[in-house]
Amino acid sequence: MKQSRLIQGNEACALGAVAAGCRFYAGYPITPSSEIAEYMARHLPEEDGVFVQMEDEISSLGAVIGASFAGARAMTATSGPGFSLMQEHIGYAVMAEAPCVIVDVMRAGPSTGRPTSPSQGDVMAARWGTHGDHPAIVLTPASVTEIFELTVRAFELAETLRMPVIVLYDEVLGHTRETVELPPRVEIAGRRTPRVAPTEFRPKEAGPDGVPPLPAFGDGYRFHVTGLTHDERGFPTDEAEVAGRLIRRLHAKVEAHRDDIVEVETLLCDDADIVIFAFGIVARAAKEAVMVARAQGLRVGLLRPRTIWPFPDREVAKITAGASVVLVAEMNLGQVVREVERAVAGNARVEGLFRADGEAIDPEEILQALAPDLEGAAR
Amino acid sequence: MSARLDLRFAGAGGQGIVMAGRVLAEAALRAGRAATHSQAYGPASRGGASRSDVVIADEEVVFPLVRRPRVLVILTAEAHRTYGDDLAPGGTLIVDTEASDGDDGLVLPIVETAARIVGTELASGVVALGALSAAVDDTDLETLEATIADRVPASLRAANLEAFAAGRSMVR
Repeated sequence: MKQSRLIQGNEACALGAVAAGCRFYAGYPITPSSEIAEYMARHLPEEDGVFVQMEDEISSLGAVIGASFAGARAMTATSGPGFSLMQEHIGYAVMAEAPCVIVDVMRAGPSTGRPTSPSQGDVMAARWGTHGDHPAIVLTPASVTEIFELTVRAFELAETLRMPVIVLYDEVLGHTRETVELPPRVEIAGRRTPRVAPTEFRPKEAGPDGVPPLPAFGDGYRFHVTGLTHDERGFPTDEAEVAGRLIRRLHAKVEAHRDDIVEVETLLCDDADIVIFAFGIVARAAKEAVMVARAQGLRVGLLRPRTIWPFPDREVAKITAGASVVLVAEMNLGQVVREVERAVAGNARVEGLFRADGEAIDPEEILQALAPDLEGAAR
Repeated sequence: MSARLDLRFAGAGGQGIVMAGRVLAEAALRAGRAATHSQAYGPASRGGASRSDVVIADEEVVFPLVRRPRVLVILTAEAHRTYGDDLAPGGTLIVDTEASDGDDGLVLPIVETAARIVGTELASGVVALGALSAAVDDTDLETLEATIADRVPASLRAANLEAFAAGRSMVR
């Protein structure tokens, strides 16, 4: 259904969350994510949901985790400084295996930075911001429509894999208005509940796919929630073997579903001599650069991750196999480029186009960065 | 790739430039075209230069940001300093009288007209839309008026349409 209405990226995020069944939001408003909180505050009560404005971002994610264990699909949204504060509870959600969605609308940092300016500086914070060995799922939409889709997707992954899922996009997308095709209804797979009787239930015992079933608190099943390393009963352990098994299972459940989680989109990569790797708003600039280059007969393509973590290394290796140059364009000083280098493994030259001044990369800059290599890309 | 028309309203918070950009983009959609709207503003709650950008195209808008607007509306001196040089060569410049710096473009009493007719500077964007619709061929008068009528509170509808007409008459 194509609407003749313009929808802002942050509104699409909130619409996606509500469509996916989110009925609990706790947050602390922060530019440039505040419109998500504003929308949820207005519309969650209409859906018999709960909106809570918390005192800070630490408690926000804490409340979200609590609501999740009580059975709700729950979300919070923030930006750089708030995302830093949430890191402790992101780790807690990984360890306790609390399904939840965290949206980070990236602004220029570090610290307070430039609150109203875009960046892509949180890519590694989204992967490694919380301490310890842990898996991460991070989705990177590149349009208002895709913010809706991937917010829905984030809930599905969070609920089915029992873990936090991060939706990561920049201020430009958060505040841009575009026409959006909204599905009439959305249905997603939810969390798996126990099939055994309450007396036989072991809270952290997983099946072959590594995901333990999750009852809602109050359903009559024994409940044990902890950030401590624990055994299958949920009780803290000091046994190395049990500890190792838990950490490996937390990773294995993501790896087992890796091919379902990782999504990329390609544009004219089949014969491309130069492949541009870009995500978020930069992918939109790259798409226009590809169209301009192609109109001049130059073999340039675009590889765009919809999932940035787990990193689509196999896809990058395969799609860039025939290219001689891979240009990584990102609004930071080079966070994703090393991942691309790792995946390309010397089979092509990897170049970077970086910008960290709070301005978006535009198509012209990408074409300029490609200029030295365009001769080789001529047909 | 379809040809695109890039437009920018530049001013300050409280002048209705975001609404003007949204109305322009939504009117383009009603006329069966593609459009996007983007905005930028500073962190200060007062002062500063803001922009409200619209891209109109026949098909999909690939890159939604505006770099060199073909139509540039400027409502404050500070916005003039920040965005005055961005106009594409040969583009259309519309500047408020108070913000003008001896410009070649259309210098019009936009803010003053908004305050006089609607009673608030918030309607400056609507007056600017009127001027823009008369100065730029690529806009559709009926859909613009209908979109304004839908967007503003009923009690201010007549005043806003009058402000829009006043903007048009400044140019014609």
